[in-house]
Amino acid sequence: MLQALLISNGLVGLEKYYISNELVQYTTCLITKDFAPDLTPYDLLVVPNGSDHVAMLKIKNQVRDFLNKGKALMCCDGFFTAWVPGNQWVMDNSHRTLDVRYLPGPDPHGLLRGLDLDELNFSHGMSGWWSCGYIQAAPGAEVLLVDTWQRPIVVLDEVSTAGRLLLTASGPLADVTYAGQPDRALVLLYRNFLHLLSTSPAPAHG
Amino acid sequence: MAKIGLIFNGVWSHYALATAPKYRDLYRLLYVHDLDADAVRDLDALAIPFQSNQRVLTEKKAVIYDFLAAGKKVFLEGDSSTSWLDAQWEDRPVNNYWWVDNPTKPPVSATDYGHPVYQGLSPRQACWHTHGVYTRVPAAAEIIQTNSDGEVITWQTHAYGGTLLVTTLDPLVEHGVQQITHLDNYVDRLTEWLSGERPAAGRLTIDGAAYGVGARV
Repeated sequence: MLQALLISNGLVGLEKYYISNELVQYTTCLITKDFAPDLTPYDLLVVPNGSDHVAMLKIKNQVRDFLNKGKALMCCDGFFTAWVPGNQWVMDNSHRTLDVRYLPGPDPHGLLRGLDLDELNFSHGMSGWWSCGYIQAAPGAEVLLVDTWQRPIVVLDEVSTAGRLLLTASGPLADVTYAGQPDRALVLLYRNFLHLLSTSPAPAHG
Repeated sequence: MAKIGLIFNGVWSHYALATAPKYRDLYRLLYVHDLDADAVRDLDALAIPFQSNQRVLTEKKAVIYDFLAAGKKVFLEGDSSTSWLDAQWEDRPVNNYWWVDNPTKPPVSATDYGHPVYQGLSPRQACWHTHGVYTRVPAAAEIIQTNSDGEVITWQTHAYGGTLLVTTLDPLVEHGVQQITHLDNYVDRLTEWLSGERPAAGRLTIDGAAYGVGARV
């Protein structure tokens, strides 16, 4: 079973979206003024939507060291500070949300398996609800989804470190199997990543 | 010089708003873990956005109430499940889709358009969605907005010296997110009410240089 550290900046209700199950055991780490978590016991670092990227910048070296041990990071948020190895999220509002559509790229690990992309494209008939901005992806990283303007929205990076990074351009992902919505796209993508971590070690490069 | 302190939980929407060219000279990001009396001394107003760290704010509530006691303004938005506020907030489902599914029943049914923040706004500009309601507010609080059940969405009180304006709307966070395109109207009026200065006209834009290694934190 994966051991995951869920980073929390005190948002109300966050933990109900990450409930321990047969794949993963979550431990929550509350951010404090002297934030310096021990990442050693964990396989996966989860930085959810609405996170504190000032705090994450403080531990950027620890995160890189953690990943270089073959561990994993999932960040489904707008990482506006430069703490994610090799990749950078940037906010952008130069295009209309009305025109946002997501298009799949090469997906050798099958992380998009079972996803109905229209669940991410539309909510109550409205588009542009899921992600914001885009990711400046590391060269060689797998871009799983691009937007209408071919900008990376979901990235799997196995090249910047010896570990794995699953990043979204602030498109929320959650593991809510035991709290409802077990088959939604934003759950399936996350759980496909958990399956990958559980069944296949990270490639030995980075 | 910035006159409004935006309490900052490290969240990107807070950052996007405060670093946007039209607002960056008016708002100063105040990282919540560094919040103290010295950090707010030269400011005219505090803005506490949705997705704040309520636990830390509770620990530091004296900073907020001392600021109000000095006759200044505080704006609080969103799901204020706070133990530092003399009011009762209750959760309700967030309805982002009323204008598609049931446009005749918006989440706010009554608004006091005499309040300076709401003057000149259309009903649509004055409400997009709400994050819960207040079922109890301080005695003598002025009610600014209610829903169709009469539950309080926005209220204001002068009981602490200055002015405390509280709403379950989330204009600051949603304006940073930029998925609702009319929020320059609300946020510009809010900013003027808080600081006395009207932001430059026009739509919020993003300064890409403020992201990544150039982040202003």
